[in-house]
Formats: sequence, structure tokens, C-alpha cells
Amino acid sequence: MPSVKLRRIASLAVVAAAGAWVLYTFAPTAYGFYPQCPFRLLTGLECPGCGTTRALHHLLHGRVEEAFRFNPMLFVLLAVALFALPSLLRGRSPRFLMQPWFAWTAFFVLTGYWIVRNTPLYPF
Amino acid sequence: MNCPNCGTSNLDNAAVCVNCGRSLGAGAPSSYTPPPPPSNFGAPPSVGAGATIPNYLWQSIVVTLCCCLPLGIVSIIFAAQVNSKLAQGDVAGAQEASQKAKMFALIGFGVGLVIIILSMIFNGAVFMNAIREAQANR
Repeated sequence: MPSVKLRRIASLAVVAAAGAWVLYTFAPTAYGFYPQCPFRLLTGLECPGCGTTRALHHLLHGRVEEAFRFNPMLFVLLAVALFALPSLLRGRSPRFLMQPWFAWTAFFVLTGYWIVRNTPLYPF
Repeated sequence: MNCPNCGTSNLDNAAVCVNCGRSLGAGAPSSYTPPPPPSNFGAPPSVGAGATIPNYLWQSIVVTLCCCLPLGIVSIIFAAQVNSKLAQGDVAGAQEASQKAKMFALIGFGVGLVIIILSMIFNGAVFMNAIREAQANR
């Protein structure tokens, strides 16, 4: 059923465009309506996803360096998303999600990044 | 038609789902039986047999990044166990890990959502107070 699939892709594109517009127009540091990270709210520590909103804001303005400073993990996520895009557009879940190496790598990278970014060793 | 298991759209006369391998029945002779689950001993299962068990990996990653870090990490560990156990041919173990991955991802999502909503209500109240004060001081 290509029409259903097309509609799904079109609605996703509309939502993404709307989100991008909000992120582009309203800087997350100036407007308080963005959802906050619950983990950071409760513990004061940063999670691996903290800074993604700010990073996306800077990336949409073409400031790659600032985006990288707020959350380098965003670029890894974008790369993975790009890699998964062909199979997602065909309505399938990408093969690599079922690979043991991918799942364990995701675990170690996320946990490692989470720990390191809360230590003084973290460069940014 | 859409697969009842994973929702992937398939050709109407497809016997099995192209994504997860589940038998679709309609249009195809009902004599089709799925291949028997692989035993614990022997070659690793084919991708088709392995893909029938969801690992909830991307869901747990999203929960880790956006909602609730500790429960999300636990969910990622179980998701990774699904993949490892499937690779070893341990279907029962993979199913168990899949259930746990789903459970922790859902709890993490719920906890995160509640905290986010509470904080937004709190932020909104602070914001309204600030406006009221600004008007009173004028």
C-alpha cells in the first residue's frame, strides 16, 4: 500500500520540519518551554542526551562547532539514523539493530560517555 | 496487508512477513508452518527465525537519552542480551530478555514522562508568578 506509506513519510516530514522550525527560531537557553532532562533535574548530573536540544539549535544555524560542544553524541546518532534511513523508508527495522555487536557497542558507548562527561576529564 | 506482528506492509499474497518472518496466512495456503525453533545445540538460527523476537533496542536508547537514564541503560542491556542469545540459538532466553527490555523501557518512559510533565507544570507556575509580579510592580 504505497499511499499509506507515502502519507506516513509525508506526515513525518511535516512533523520534522515543524520541530526544526521551532528549534531554529527559539533558542533553548532563552525559552523555558522545552522539556528538561529528568535525570539532570533530579541529580544535577548530565545524561548522554543532555545538550541535544541546544546542539540541534546550533546545528540548524550552521554552527557545527558549538553543536559539537553541547553534545558530540548527536553526530553519532545522526550518522546511525542516516544509516538506518533506507530500511526505515521501506518500513522495515534496520538489520543492524538485531546484531549483538551493535547492541553491546551502543551500551558501552552510551554508558562510557555518560560517565566520562560527568568527570573533570571531559574536555567541553 | 500489514503484518500483525511488526506492522510491516507486505504484498497481499505474501505467505510470511518480509520483516519478521511471521506467517501471514491470508492468500497463501494455510499449510505453511514456520520452521521449528533451532535447538540450543548446533548452528545459529537464520535471520528469519531470529528477527521474530523484538529487542526494543532503539526504544531503550530513546528512553536512556530522553526520559530516564538508569532504567534505559538496564533496558539496553536486556536488548543486547536478546541479540546475543538469539545468536547463540537460545530462543527462550531471548524471549525472556525481550520481555524485560520492554518492561524496563516502558517503566523508564513512564517515570521520565511524569517528571517532565511535573517540571513543566512547575516551570509554568514560576513563569506565571514572574508575570504577575512584573505587573504588580509596574
